[in-house]
Amino acid sequence: MARVTVRIPSLLAQVIGGVQRIDVEAETLKGALDQALKRHPELELHLFDAKGSFRDHVLCFHNDTDTRWIDSLDRAVNDGDRISIVQSVSGGAEDLKAVVGTGPTDEA
Amino acid sequence: MKVTAVVGTQKGAFILRSDESRAEWRNEGPIFKGWKVTAVAAPAQGRVHLALASDIYGPAIQIGDGFSTSEWRQAADGPRFPPGDDRELDQIWTIFPHGEEIYAGVADAALFKSEDGGESWRLIEGLDRHPTRASWFPGAAGLCAHVLLSDPQNPDRLWCGVSAVGVLRSDDRGRSWTLKNEGVEKVVPDEEHPEIGCCVHGLAQDPDDANVIFRQDHRGTYRTRNGGDSWERIERGLPSGFGFPIAIDPTTKALFAVPLESDEYRLTPKGRLGVYRSRNGGDSWDLMRHGLPQENTYAGVLRSAVAVDSLDPCGIYVGTTSGSLHFSNDRGDTWRTLPHLLPRILCIEVFAE
Repeated sequence: MARVTVRIPSLLAQVIGGVQRIDVEAETLKGALDQALKRHPELELHLFDAKGSFRDHVLCFHNDTDTRWIDSLDRAVNDGDRISIVQSVSGGAEDLKAVVGTGPTDEA
Repeated sequence: MKVTAVVGTQKGAFILRSDESRAEWRNEGPIFKGWKVTAVAAPAQGRVHLALASDIYGPAIQIGDGFSTSEWRQAADGPRFPPGDDRELDQIWTIFPHGEEIYAGVADAALFKSEDGGESWRLIEGLDRHPTRASWFPGAAGLCAHVLLSDPQNPDRLWCGVSAVGVLRSDDRGRSWTLKNEGVEKVVPDEEHPEIGCCVHGLAQDPDDANVIFRQDHRGTYRTRNGGDSWERIERGLPSGFGFPIAIDPTTKALFAVPLESDEYRLTPKGRLGVYRSRNGGDSWDLMRHGLPQENTYAGVLRSAVAVDSLDPCGIYVGTTSGSLHFSNDRGDTWRTLPHLLPRILCIEVFAE
């Protein structure tokens, strides 16, 4: 088992009492995320869509590697590794959906 | 007496405190900074509920013991569409305590119910099974079930407003629903189902007769005296039939509306913020503007961004899309502006205790 840290961005951390760092022991990336979710199950619906994939604008980095570019979350982790949740929003639009083109969310 | 105004905005909730005078307000927010706070529920079963939403992280319900700046926890099993349902739960628009139950109206249009104080929620399938459901068309804010009413004398009777579908009524506590829009002009006429296509924006209910309901719609302002079986226009004195909120003083039954300049522009008419009041059940309306900005004001007022408190004389609270909050503590006769500029205001609820 490796000791790794799962980092939660401050905005999201508000739904789990402000916790921004979750220390877990795991063998794989998936195992570490499972441990973090076991500790804070409220995070699940905010991180994953109904199909179990990361939400469109939620990124997960294993150290400096974007997990979108690896084949599987069954990747081994080592002592001291960082798993970072990052919200992938760029630009200045207040309404993200106006940027990604899925339509307006507000009426006036 | 303490008065608390909970203001939900695009970037968090602001908790404003005052006393019975409601003259000065102290801000204790924001809480959930950065989250859209899309609905605030009246205290129920010793708890209060907030609906949060994020374009990144999705929606959730937070439960608190009161409107303080700490001690919140997320509903353990919040509203979610069941596996295999391909709808996305975009936003929770209303949280509505009803006896021992709590209902939530969401987009994509659906209702959820909790029987354990808001901890766990299940989909009410009756609305989904409506025979016109496949033809429902979203308004500019999405296909949202955004307002609920009930009949205190008959707990089985509920009303639900869905944009851009119309008002539906249930007489069996949500198991089945009937469209109730006779007399209301359609926005999106449907060839196959001519009974849908109304875009209800806001509802207010007579505190003494639940079947008397006032309705701010996309194409006009209306009243029913028979639980929605038929509606009539009540627009004498209004500059426009278009607007979002409508609210009622529980003591005098005065109505309050904030018409906007057409569905094309959705701004305060002529750069003036005007609140209209009716003291005769909607038969006619008068402009209340003393103390409200009367020039160079171009803002919108969203459907849940007007609240009336339960005191006598009542206070009225109007939040704008520009983040200004205007309030009256004398039934609308005079107004002041909160010396705070908040993010875009989505909803307001006021509680006196």
